[in-house]
Amino acid sequence: MGGQDFEDLYRAHSGQVYGLCLRLTGQPALAEDCTQECFIRAWRALPSFEGRSQISTWLHRIAVNTVFGLRRQRPSDALREASVLDEAAEQVASGADAPGTTDIEAALGRLPQGARDVVVLVGIYGHSHEEAAGMLGIAIGTSKAQLHRGRRLLAQQLGIDMEAA
Amino acid sequence: MNSPRFSSVDEALVSLPRALQPAQDLWPRIAAQLGQQADAPAEPGPRRTVRAAGPQWPLALAASLAVIGLVGAVCWSVLRERAATELVARTATPAHAARTLVNFQPTHDADYVAARASLERVFNERLQLLAPATRTRVQADLEIIRKAQEDIRAALASDPASPLLQNLLQSTGQQEIQLYTSVNESTDPILMRRT
Repeated sequence: MGGQDFEDLYRAHSGQVYGLCLRLTGQPALAEDCTQECFIRAWRALPSFEGRSQISTWLHRIAVNTVFGLRRQRPSDALREASVLDEAAEQVASGADAPGTTDIEAALGRLPQGARDVVVLVGIYGHSHEEAAGMLGIAIGTSKAQLHRGRRLLAQQLGIDMEAA
Repeated sequence: MNSPRFSSVDEALVSLPRALQPAQDLWPRIAAQLGQQADAPAEPGPRRTVRAAGPQWPLALAASLAVIGLVGAVCWSVLRERAATELVARTATPAHAARTLVNFQPTHDADYVAARASLERVFNERLQLLAPATRTRVQADLEIIRKAQEDIRAALASDPASPLLQNLLQSTGQQEIQLYTSVNESTDPILMRRT
């Protein structure tokens, strides 16, 4: 694959990869670093890509690994300040006109890390529990439990009655 | 904080845009890094210059990307024809689509060719059971898928070793099979009697 072709790939998928990284890190600058690193890793790994999954799933897996590597390097990033979360929520919300988006992103940012990771991958990006568990290195049952926990916490924060829904 | 617009958490989550744009274009930084990569993808012999081979490559990529988003909508449209909540839940979820794509590994052996031909034959029969508007849409979208396959095959002729092109071809093949499967399942006489 030539450089221009890879740029085409980047243009087609960078928005989703950046969105995923931003929601997992909560920090725009870190999300940019992760997105950049993700595509560099993807370039290196391209010859070994076997096509067993969609390209987007493959890229998401690399992005999650990149974010997790960053978390290991900088564990303090896991303890995110409210101001940073608000900044991330505002940036995320600027990409959508729907009212309430800022609330949802902010609520998402306040979730415990384990629940947030699963909610982002399964709830927003539509991955199966099997895929999410594989990306996160957790059991499928744990993924389901974290999603349930995340949904419950989000419902509380957003004033949604889960019983009624 | 209150978001009365949403009646469920799932509804709130799916309303969020998946793609977001960073404050700056990251490609120049990535390109600079790639330019410095001594260990760029190992390619035997001279570096392949796909772009120089002709204009088919971006066309193939664009066609394939369009197809990827297309079939989900088609399947939803087909399945919506039935008020079969159970069937929709079972067949129209992203998880089901992902399983279909993951599990399907096209090959050119006799079993695969026979199975695919059988699927296509049933599809052509069942197509007549769809409402005219849906049938027209399915047929039009199938044409788009097949056109994308032609474009990708043309690009592959110039760059047969490209893993991305091979993947794109496989993806469009999977989308075609997924479309056949969705139509066949949604018009299955046994399942229709159950609902």
